[in-house]
Amino acid sequence: MTKYVQHGLKVQSKPDEVARQNFMLNMRSYVMLDMATGMKKIYDHNIEPNFKKLNKRDPKNGDEIHKVIKKDTYFKFYSSIRCNAQEMVFRSVLPPIERSMKDLKRKAKTLSKSKKIKGSLNLDKNLPIPKSVSAIDVHLMPGCYHSEHSENDMSQGAIYDNGVSVFSMGFFGDKLDDIGSSISLFIKKKYPKFKPLKILDLGCTVGHNTLPWSNAYPKAEVHALDVGAPVLRYGHARAQSEGVSVHFHQQNAEKTNFKDNSFDLVFSSMFLHEVPRKGIKLILKEAKRLLKPGGLMLHMELPPNKMLEPYDSFYLDWDSYYNKEPFYKPFRDMVPEKICSDAGFQKSKFVQFIIPSIGQFGDKEIIKSIKYQNGNVDDRTGRFTKGIHWYCFGSWK
Amino acid sequence: MSNDENKLRYSVRGKKSRFFESDGVDELVSICMSIAQELWVVKEELAMIKNLTINKGLITKKDLDDFKFTKRQKENLNKDNKEFIDRVFFTLRESVEAAEAEPDEPKPPTVP
Repeated sequence: MTKYVQHGLKVQSKPDEVARQNFMLNMRSYVMLDMATGMKKIYDHNIEPNFKKLNKRDPKNGDEIHKVIKKDTYFKFYSSIRCNAQEMVFRSVLPPIERSMKDLKRKAKTLSKSKKIKGSLNLDKNLPIPKSVSAIDVHLMPGCYHSEHSENDMSQGAIYDNGVSVFSMGFFGDKLDDIGSSISLFIKKKYPKFKPLKILDLGCTVGHNTLPWSNAYPKAEVHALDVGAPVLRYGHARAQSEGVSVHFHQQNAEKTNFKDNSFDLVFSSMFLHEVPRKGIKLILKEAKRLLKPGGLMLHMELPPNKMLEPYDSFYLDWDSYYNKEPFYKPFRDMVPEKICSDAGFQKSKFVQFIIPSIGQFGDKEIIKSIKYQNGNVDDRTGRFTKGIHWYCFGSWK
Repeated sequence: MSNDENKLRYSVRGKKSRFFESDGVDELVSICMSIAQELWVVKEELAMIKNLTINKGLITKKDLDDFKFTKRQKENLNKDNKEFIDRVFFTLRESVEAAEAEPDEPKPPTVP
C-alpha cells in the first residue's frame, strides 16, 4: 500500500476517513487490475470471436472494439464502477482537506519564508483560465485545478496531491514522482554530456514530477508553470517542504512570458492529453521558441494509438469518453513525430523512449533500458499494472 | 471570501456517464459502492478495536484516537480488504469464469 501524503502539508485524516481512503485504493486496484483482466478475457473469449464471425476479419482499431464491447454487461459494470471509484477517491480526501485548510495555509506561509530553500511563487490573477480547465472537472476531480474556495486557497492542490496518492495505488511512488524520477535518470545516463542549467516543467500541477529534475541536475535553475493558482500555491509550499528550490509561475504554456532561447530542457508529464489539439500545437511551438539551440523538449504521455494493438487503444481511450478527459483520444490519435516537425523541429532530431518505472524496476533497469530502446510499446506502457513503463517523446533543437 | 469559509464542492459538474439501459441501475451501482465503502469503514474500525482489545485489554477514547496499525496489521488488513471487495463483486468474477469455461454444458430445454 502506498503511503499517503507525508510531507509538510500532510492533512490529519480521522480513522474513518483513512478507512474510506484505504477502501478506495483497493477498489481502484480491483477495477484497474482484476476487472481489467476480466474484461480482456471476456473480449478474447466472446466479443472478438463474435466480431470475427460477423465481419470475417479482425477489428481494425479501438473504436470498432468500443462499439461492440459497450453492449457487454461486464463492460458496463467495469465502466460504472470505475467512474464511481474515481469520484469516490476524490470525495474520500475532501473532508480532512476542508477541515485543515487554515492550518495548511499557515504551514505554507512558514515554508515560503524559508531562508534555506529559495523557491518562488509568481501568480498572475489576470491570467485567463482556458476553457479546457475552467469548463470541466478534469478526470472527475471536483473543482479541477483552478477553483478557489477562500482567500489564497490551496484546496485544489491538496485534493490533487491527496487524491492522486489514493488513485495511483502506489504506481506513482510515495511522493508521486515516479515519472519525473524515472525519466530524469534515463536522460542523465543516456546523454551524459547534456547538462541543463535551466529547466521548465509545463502544466506542473503540484510540481510532483518537477522536483526530480532538480535532484538529477542540482546545478539547474528549475521553473514550473500551470494556469491554476491553487495548485501552484500548494506546489510551491510542497517543494519548499521537500527542500527543493523551484520557481512556480501562473502562466499558460501556449504563450509564456519567458524569453526566446532561455531553457535547456522543456518538460511535461501527463499534460498534453488534457489540452485541445490547437493548444498542443501552440505549446510545442512555444517550447521550440523557449529552447536554446541544443536544448531538449520532452513530453511524458500515454502512448499514441498508432503504436498500440486495437484492444489496448480501446482500453486507454476509455478515459476520453467517461473520465471527463475529452482531449485524451484526440491527442493520442496525433502522430508525435508529425506534431514535433509541424512545430518546427527537425525530423532527424525527434526522440521517443519507453522507460521502466524506477519504483518497480530500480535504477539498474533504467540504465539497461538505454541500450534496448526499440520503440515497441506493450500493454504495460502507461497502464497501472505490474511492470509499468513510461512513454515519452520530444525533440532536440 | 474569508479564510474561515472553505466549503468544497463534492459533486462533479456536468453530465454523468451512464452505462445501463434500465432505469436506475447506474444509481444502484453508485449506492452499492457507497454501502460497500461504509461497510469497510465498520470492518476497519472493528479490526482496530479488536487489536486494541488484544493489546491492552481496556479501551478508552484516547486509545482509539491514538491507535495506529502496525506494518503487519496493515498488511493483513489490506489483504482482508481485497478479499472483501472480491466477495462483494463476486458476480463479476463469475461472469469472467463463465466466459472462459468450455461451452460443454448441456442446454436447458427451450423456454416455451
